[in-house]
Amino acid sequence: MSAPQFDATFAALSDPTRRAILARLAKGEATVSELAAPFDLTQPAISKHLKVLERAGLISRGRAAQTRPCRLETAPLKQLARWIQEYQHLWEHSFDRLDTHLKAAQSSETKGKRHVRK
Amino acid sequence: MSASKQKSIPAHVVFEIDRIYDAPLALVWAAWSEREQFETWWGPKGCTICATRFEFRPGGFFHYAMQFENGPHTWGRFVYLDISAPQRITWLNSFSNEGCGIARAPFDPAIPLEILNEVTLSERNGKTTVALRAWPHGAEDHERAVFEGMFASLKQGYGGTLDQLGDVLSDR
Repeated sequence: MSAPQFDATFAALSDPTRRAILARLAKGEATVSELAAPFDLTQPAISKHLKVLERAGLISRGRAAQTRPCRLETAPLKQLARWIQEYQHLWEHSFDRLDTHLKAAQSSETKGKRHVRK
Repeated sequence: MSASKQKSIPAHVVFEIDRIYDAPLALVWAAWSEREQFETWWGPKGCTICATRFEFRPGGFFHYAMQFENGPHTWGRFVYLDISAPQRITWLNSFSNEGCGIARAPFDPAIPLEILNEVTLSERNGKTTVALRAWPHGAEDHERAVFEGMFASLKQGYGGTLDQLGDVLSDR
C-alpha cells in the first residue's frame, strides 16, 4: 500500500461514526438505510461517510442492485491491526520473559546471600 | 474522536500494558538498565536480540539486530530521551538500518515511523509494577486517532461490535 493511500485510510478511520459503520459491515453487507438506522443521522449524512470510506478503499459498493449494498474491504485495516497486535505481542512476550529473568536473578541472589552467611 | 470518547481514553495514551512482578524495584531496574539483562528478555517472540550499541543515558542508542530463525535479520533502535533512575525511562523506538539510522518498517512503509514509549516502575510491599505507555511520535492527529481507535478496539472490543471486525480481520 502506498503512503498516500494509507493516509486516506487513516483519515477515514479517524471518525467514530465511520468506524462504527465498518464494525456493522463486519457482520455482513448492508444498504445505506440499514446503516443509517442505528445512528441519529440522515441518509445523506451516512452517504457522505460512505463516500469517504469508499475512497479510502475500506468499503466497496455493489453496482447491480439499486440499493448498492456496502461491503467491508478489510485489507487496509488488516495491515494496521496486524501491526498494533504485533506491538502488543512484543510486549506481552517480553514481559513474560522478564518474569522468568527476574525469578532466575532472585534465586541466584538468594544463593549468593546464603553463600555469604557460611 | 468525539468528546465522550476522549473521556474514556486518556489523551494521547494509545497503548498501555502493565505487569506486577514479585521482585524488588532495584532488581527490575537492573533488568532494564543493564545490557546483558535487557538483551535476554526484551524482543519479539522467536527472535534473538543482538545489540551493537547499548548506551543507557539520555541521547544514547540501543541498536540491535533481531535475528529470526530461518529468516533475515531486521535492525531496530531505541533513542533514550529521559532516564530517571530508578523509576522512569522514555525512549523512541523505530526500525533502523545497519548504521543505526532510522528506517521505515520493512514490511510496511506507512506505519508510524517512531513510537514514543514510557515505562514507569513503582514498588509496593516488595512487588514492582511495570507500566508501559506508548504512542506514535510526531504522527499527524489523524494517525494518532486511528492508532488510538484501533488499539482501543483490539483491547476492549469496539462497543462489542469491533470484536466481530477483529474476527473478520483475523479470518482473512
